[in-house]
Amino acid sequence: MAVDLLTLAFQRPHIDWHGIAPELVLLGVGALITLVDIVFLEKARPITAALAGLGLLATAVPLLTLAADGTDRVMFDGAYVVDEFSLVMKAIFLLSAYVVVLLSTNYVAEGDYWENEYYGLLLASVMGMVMMASARDLVSIFVALELLSIPAYLMVAWRKRDLRSNEAGLKYYLMGVFASAVMLYGMSLLYGVSGSTMLDDIGTAVAAAGSSVPVVTMAIVFIVAGFAFKVSAVPFHTWAPDVYEGAPTPVTAFLAVASKAAGFVALLVLVLVAFPSASDVWEPLVWILAAASMTVGNMVALRQTNVVRLMAYSGIAQTGFMIAPLAVAGHGGGSADQALSAVVTYLAIYAAMNLGAFAVIIVLARKTGSAETTSFAGAFHYAPGLTVAMTIFLFSLAGIPPLGGWFAKFEVFRVLATAGEPWGYVLAAVGAVNSVIALYYYAALARRMWADDAPDGDHAPVPMTPSLASALGICGIVTLAFGVAPQLVARFTDVTLAALGG
Amino acid sequence: MSDFLRSWLVLVVFGGLAVLLVSAFLGLGSLLRPSRDTPQKSINYESGVDPQGDMWAQSNIRYYVFALMFVLFDVEAVFIFPWATRLEVYDVFGLVEMAIFIFILALGLFYAWRKRLLRWV
Amino acid sequence: MLLNQFLLLSAVLFSIGVYGVLARRNGVLVLMSIELILNAVNINLVAFGAFRATVGGEVFALFIIAVAAAEVGVGLAMVLLMYRNRRSIDLTAIDQLRG
Repeated sequence: MAVDLLTLAFQRPHIDWHGIAPELVLLGVGALITLVDIVFLEKARPITAALAGLGLLATAVPLLTLAADGTDRVMFDGAYVVDEFSLVMKAIFLLSAYVVVLLSTNYVAEGDYWENEYYGLLLASVMGMVMMASARDLVSIFVALELLSIPAYLMVAWRKRDLRSNEAGLKYYLMGVFASAVMLYGMSLLYGVSGSTMLDDIGTAVAAAGSSVPVVTMAIVFIVAGFAFKVSAVPFHTWAPDVYEGAPTPVTAFLAVASKAAGFVALLVLVLVAFPSASDVWEPLVWILAAASMTVGNMVALRQTNVVRLMAYSGIAQTGFMIAPLAVAGHGGGSADQALSAVVTYLAIYAAMNLGAFAVIIVLARKTGSAETTSFAGAFHYAPGLTVAMTIFLFSLAGIPPLGGWFAKFEVFRVLATAGEPWGYVLAAVGAVNSVIALYYYAALARRMWADDAPDGDHAPVPMTPSLASALGICGIVTLAFGVAPQLVARFTDVTLAALGG
Repeated sequence: MSDFLRSWLVLVVFGGLAVLLVSAFLGLGSLLRPSRDTPQKSINYESGVDPQGDMWAQSNIRYYVFALMFVLFDVEAVFIFPWATRLEVYDVFGLVEMAIFIFILALGLFYAWRKRLLRWV
Repeated sequence: MLLNQFLLLSAVLFSIGVYGVLARRNGVLVLMSIELILNAVNINLVAFGAFRATVGGEVFALFIIAVAAAEVGVGLAMVLLMYRNRRSIDLTAIDQLRG
């Protein structure tokens, strides 16, 4: 009985300080930014961006020592695990957040927005993501999800007087909260089935109950649907284009990359740890999500006239590619491991190329004041370097060798083709057709930038800042490195989950 | 008939009787009483004074900030109560944990104070 | 041990909440419908926790209550912002963004 627990002697939990050091550093820097804001108010504005950037880099230090140490750490009775998978994902989150800070530096300062709070919230959101990578328990997954989402809702609506930003914030908030409520209902059913919130125990209980139990099926459907919203997979994608367009562009980049990756982390952990035995429930579900996302995303992207909306739909299509390996991950014999590595590789490359594309969009939109495709025409004449960079990122997104996106797609196709299942081949074929469609609109945008003439003949050079240049540099190097030397870099993303016995 | 169903039957009978009696008395009343509606009679009763404005009056926006902060800090107390009931068992460890928790909460309160949200202007 | 009754109550609350989110056009009422869903979850968790004699469910419910308060705080602020800028909280009226 519950009462008996109160008479148990309290055991001081053993805390592995090294294991949670990255979270502690992030928490410290977040609290420091708030303190600086409380003490100095507006006078602190010039330093908070630097503080946030340094904080993210400082968080990477314990991450590196943990990686050098290399042992899997299990903390808090298994609710919090530091393994290869979580370390690599944390590195991806920190690096993309750092690039987002670089992108935001001038954007937020010029817009006269609330700067101190912006970086404080950004760090809080990153902290939620970093926690998500280690969470192996329903409660910590839920808390991490909300910690990363709630600041994001606020950041989307950051331009307080702009109706479009308000609308984007409200839409994102309502859809997000609804999705997490539905997902929670699924989690409560899972708890009812297993009597525990630990994913390991749930995995055992689900295996014992058998996947034919309706309540297990219902729970899995609710949870997968909740995270399908977070990663903007069709048919839960409707919020993405509107929110991406209305939000401040650095925030859009953050949502499109980091927030999406966090959704994938939770989805991977839940599917592979909590319900590997119920693969006949989630495999078809994921298959439909993957095929629909690729097809619908690309079809709608074809007729977009706004670059940010185009990136939103292209992101939906990329989600389809990223989720596809999961559709064959339930066959045992290492298929789960392979799917995991393919998704993580894709996430890392996608983060670099997508952030890079958004960086170029931010720089060009600063000059033209609009994100319509027509206003990007003729960019080569006044910003040749940027145009080359954008072409690299776009062709990488399309999956042209020897750029990073090619390797990402190659890994996905390899997993689908080696699963030895007819449905895997069909999905691979759907993906192949979609790659061709995607190439069309990416190339169309690139052609417009190279060949057309600037709309108003304005050939003044674009304003470039050091932070934007370094953001572009980081993204470009990662995109190229993954494409040119995939085997060298892929060692880092060929990860294992501690729970899978890797 | 089983005991179980019989006890439910009692409930049904009494429920039916209750509905019947109430509707009978109310129906009888509405049949017997005279009914002369005038617009004045349907006005809301506000202590005998003529009511002013719409009933969907909006309250001052400043209440919202206070209500919101009250709810936030009030709800965080759910994490303090379990600790408080077993204070002596958790000893120094619990005290330090709770001090960190309350420090972060206090940071929020200080923020609100410094941004002049606690002042009624 | 009573369990089904609680689960039924929670399922009914959940359905009412989902209906409210999908059918209501007033921002505040949608927020209230979402709260209904969260309460359905809490009832589920507490009922399962009592049934299984583990405290995990109750602890989860406490976390949901605390996080939901933060969520609603953000949501009300958002609805308020919308009201300030356009004097209405009708969700059908927000249509600046589409494509």
